[in-house]
Amino acid sequence: MKYTIRRIWMLVVTMLIVSFMTFLAFELVSGDPAQTMLGTEATPEQLAALRHELGLDQPFFARYFRWLGGFFTGDLGSSYIYRQGVWGLIAPKLSLTLLLALISFILITVISIPLGVWSYRFVGGPFDWLRTTFNQLCMAVPPFFVGILLCWIFGIILHLFTPGDFPALRSDPGGALRHLLFASICLCIPRIAMTVRMMRSTVIGEMEKAYVRTAISRGNDRRQVLTRHVLKNSLTSTVTFLGQTMAELVGGSIVVEQVFGIPGLGRFLVSSISNRDYPVVQAIVVLLAFWVVLAGTIADLINQRVDPRLRLGGGAK
Amino acid sequence: MKNKRMNGYLLAGLILTGLLVALMLLGKFWTPYSPTEMNGAAKLQPPSWAHLFGTDNFGRDIFSRVMRGGGTTLTIAVLTIAIGAVLGTLIGAATGYFGGAVDDALMRLNDALTAFPSILLALLIISLVGPGKTYNVVIALGIVFIPSFARVMRTQFASQRNVNYITSARLMGAGSLRIMILHMLPNTLRTLLPALTIGFNNAVLAEASMSFLGIGVTPPDASLGYMLSEAQGMLVKAPWYAISTGAMIALLVFGVGLIGEGLQKLEREVD
Repeated sequence: MKYTIRRIWMLVVTMLIVSFMTFLAFELVSGDPAQTMLGTEATPEQLAALRHELGLDQPFFARYFRWLGGFFTGDLGSSYIYRQGVWGLIAPKLSLTLLLALISFILITVISIPLGVWSYRFVGGPFDWLRTTFNQLCMAVPPFFVGILLCWIFGIILHLFTPGDFPALRSDPGGALRHLLFASICLCIPRIAMTVRMMRSTVIGEMEKAYVRTAISRGNDRRQVLTRHVLKNSLTSTVTFLGQTMAELVGGSIVVEQVFGIPGLGRFLVSSISNRDYPVVQAIVVLLAFWVVLAGTIADLINQRVDPRLRLGGGAK
Repeated sequence: MKNKRMNGYLLAGLILTGLLVALMLLGKFWTPYSPTEMNGAAKLQPPSWAHLFGTDNFGRDIFSRVMRGGGTTLTIAVLTIAIGAVLGTLIGAATGYFGGAVDDALMRLNDALTAFPSILLALLIISLVGPGKTYNVVIALGIVFIPSFARVMRTQFASQRNVNYITSARLMGAGSLRIMILHMLPNTLRTLLPALTIGFNNAVLAEASMSFLGIGVTPPDASLGYMLSEAQGMLVKAPWYAISTGAMIALLVFGVGLIGEGLQKLEREVD
């Protein structure tokens, strides 16, 4: 319990630093938002009125905390381009990106863990180099390139979905899910390769330990030792790695959404950067960073439940 | 027999990377056709002996474009890693060697920075310095790669702080700078070299992603990532454009990945 509280406290502190750095950075470059919104022909009175309306005449820290509070009240200021509340623009896109990441995450977990354990059987075998090479090849292919190929084969040739034309989740949930599934495949491939590689080296490391040698020399079945003891002990590093995977999916989805034309958060972030729509960029950056930190925290909390040593030792390494 | 296979990765990686790098460097000075000149008579030709990778819908030779674009990608990746590795090593060496309050503060900052996925951090910085300029891509990516190198190198330098040979060197009157450069740095190479190969690959992929998104390299420069986004638009008419460009990125990353794999295998052999 003490550990849980401390871990959540760490999450809060990290997010405070992250949000402050983001706010400060955009404060330094964004210039005068009122001027940006009204253009160069605005009168000084109009400018002053808008500045007051946006709260720009208040001191820096007052504005920072008001903006930070916006993540809880839903008032994150308004977009320069769309002249609408930022939160209202982001919310529907956030759910799409979450869904894409969730589908990818499930695929990665379900495929790579059994595959990782299975690939242990080939350690030192004559085909080990083949597996390593294939693994490197999977990690080398950029997700957006796989995405383009999938669009070409399954979209343009086989007509299983229409690249760039994303069906609305409400009216055509089946079509939308199929579209998301293809997008998640290209997010998964390099990540599955990495997870398999990680699983394999963890299992190798664990199998070399004394307790395994003892168990096997006392006549226990090798496979039983693997499934009953080694896998349990490999669990913590797997959970940590999957936490990082959740975080990496955020970065990957930014690009993949662009390839498949999915109107998610990443795509909106990119267009907002090109438009220099700073309030939107700011909000999305902090939200995505929160996602990453949250994934790490959850992974640590799960590990602490799974592995009593972490509980007794009183903390993360 | 065993030893031979260990170096197989390294050898294959070096040959593949060497060939690609040679091709890309050559592309900076000479290409079979002009990579930018449009040729109405040779539009959308599939791969042939005259045009190895075919032509795009402006009649530009894709092989020449890949050579030139690969050079741009290579330059950006190398500069990025140079910035990240040099500054990261300096910060990591200073904090790891001296420790103390500065070390704590910098590591907290490092923790906060790792909250951003690298592509997100790069996008944030590019949004601050201004999108669409080649040298801004280098700046943004270079900054992104500092924290990971700093962390790795800090651990390396900190672990050597109280080792016997360092204490002896100190007792013999060696200065901090001398100890760091002559005694500690060589011992970090076994960690630094594989880290460089991984970093290089991440830099190639990050640059490709950013240019693909249209906020990295923009015309008249063209990198492989930018070309891939161009190729996506002609996917129906000229699929060979996307395939050859994407394969080029994948092969480069694959080759360097094999070198990294080979280096790690070699280390394990030594142990």
